[in-house]
Amino acid sequence: MANPMKIRAANKDGVTEVKVLISHEMETGQRKDANGAIIPAWFITELSAKHGDKVVLQGEFGTAVSKNPYLAFKFKGGAKGEKVAVSWKDNKGDSRTDEATIA
Amino acid sequence: MSRFSKSILVLALAGASTAGFAFDKYQGIGRQATTAEVAAWDIDVRPDFKGLPKGSGNVERGQELFEEKCASCHGSFGESNEVFTPLIGGTTAEDIKNGRVGGFVKGDIPQRTTFTKVATISTVFDYIQRAMPWTAPKSLKPDDVYAILAYFLNLAEIVPGDFTLSDRNIADVQKLMPNRNGMTTDHGMWPGAPAKKGGIGNGGKPDVKNVACMKNCKAEVQIASTLPEYARTAHGELADQNRSFGPVRGTRTLGPEAAKKAANATTLELATKNGCMACHGVAGKIVGPGYNEVVARYKDQADAEGKLVAKVKNGGQGAWGSVPMPPNGHLPDEDIKTLVRWILSGAK
Repeated sequence: MANPMKIRAANKDGVTEVKVLISHEMETGQRKDANGAIIPAWFITELSAKHGDKVVLQGEFGTAVSKNPYLAFKFKGGAKGEKVAVSWKDNKGDSRTDEATIA
Repeated sequence: MSRFSKSILVLALAGASTAGFAFDKYQGIGRQATTAEVAAWDIDVRPDFKGLPKGSGNVERGQELFEEKCASCHGSFGESNEVFTPLIGGTTAEDIKNGRVGGFVKGDIPQRTTFTKVATISTVFDYIQRAMPWTAPKSLKPDDVYAILAYFLNLAEIVPGDFTLSDRNIADVQKLMPNRNGMTTDHGMWPGAPAKKGGIGNGGKPDVKNVACMKNCKAEVQIASTLPEYARTAHGELADQNRSFGPVRGTRTLGPEAAKKAANATTLELATKNGCMACHGVAGKIVGPGYNEVVARYKDQADAEGKLVAKVKNGGQGAWGSVPMPPNGHLPDEDIKTLVRWILSGAK
């Protein structure tokens, strides 16, 4: 099981800004270890964010995204006390969902 | 001053009593710092927590404060690398257990952060209290600093989300710092006796050793190694990257041809800067004659350089049509000569 994401969500003037720090290795599959063996690729392939039941962001991630990616986005709507959930899937089949309350 | 009062002053100084006596020596210069002034200056917090103000703050409050005052530069999670190096990250649960950041031991740490480096939490407290926020240092109350530190510690996964940091438990947190065993004082810059004799440094022994040669020294310096041919151009033209004054010049790594080109390029710059290129083309007429035309007309004349220098300086009209050339008396003679020589040599 992967480490939890850190999520902050804040509503201002009807727009909710969400900031996410994802904890993931994001190995490209191009690097080699000290013995010259290729480190197998391990990266997030899909990411989505939901506000309640509504999907507000969906994205396909790849090897170009850095280790422990930082993601920030805004969407219209959302109110204090409501929940925002972010989930990802990686190429090893692992997935994770974390939730934050809009402040 | 009588001899008697002088001896009293000497006695007072020798007695090393209060500094007030010392000030009497400099009547009318300065004054004793007040207790309040000393207190305002004396804010350091030491690794043994001497100087730590009383107070407390929790993670939640710290997050609020951090978003408000710190996140614009440091990022919401202290992760930002844009303005400063990141505050948080690069530490693992293993590091917290060992007290030594594994990335340093293995040497594969991708990015240093404050929490990978700092050995004592007191140092972070001291720094925030002293220097942060950047725009309003010393504006945070002790409780604010405790709260922000609690937020850091939570981000670094050292303490849980409901943690309250205070002057009573900060020493316990110190025992969890990821790089607490990563500091060495075995360097000459640390003052005092060597660690073995109860001091903290190595007794002032420098980290490097340079012994001056006193006998049987080499009479002549010999160059033992030079840049191999294939590597000469690896960093571009070294001569352009060194100062133009002082004893050391970079070698012309790109060869004499490139050196000539570089010299011409600067002349072209000089011509552009001084407005020559507005009217004269290198290979054709714009308003005035092109440099190639000038060369064609003057190349067989022995005193062409002197003549042209005078023309550039004083301006002229008629030789190439009715459009006048303005005088350029404001240019240094040396620059005019350089320009004329450049034109006559083909302006390449």
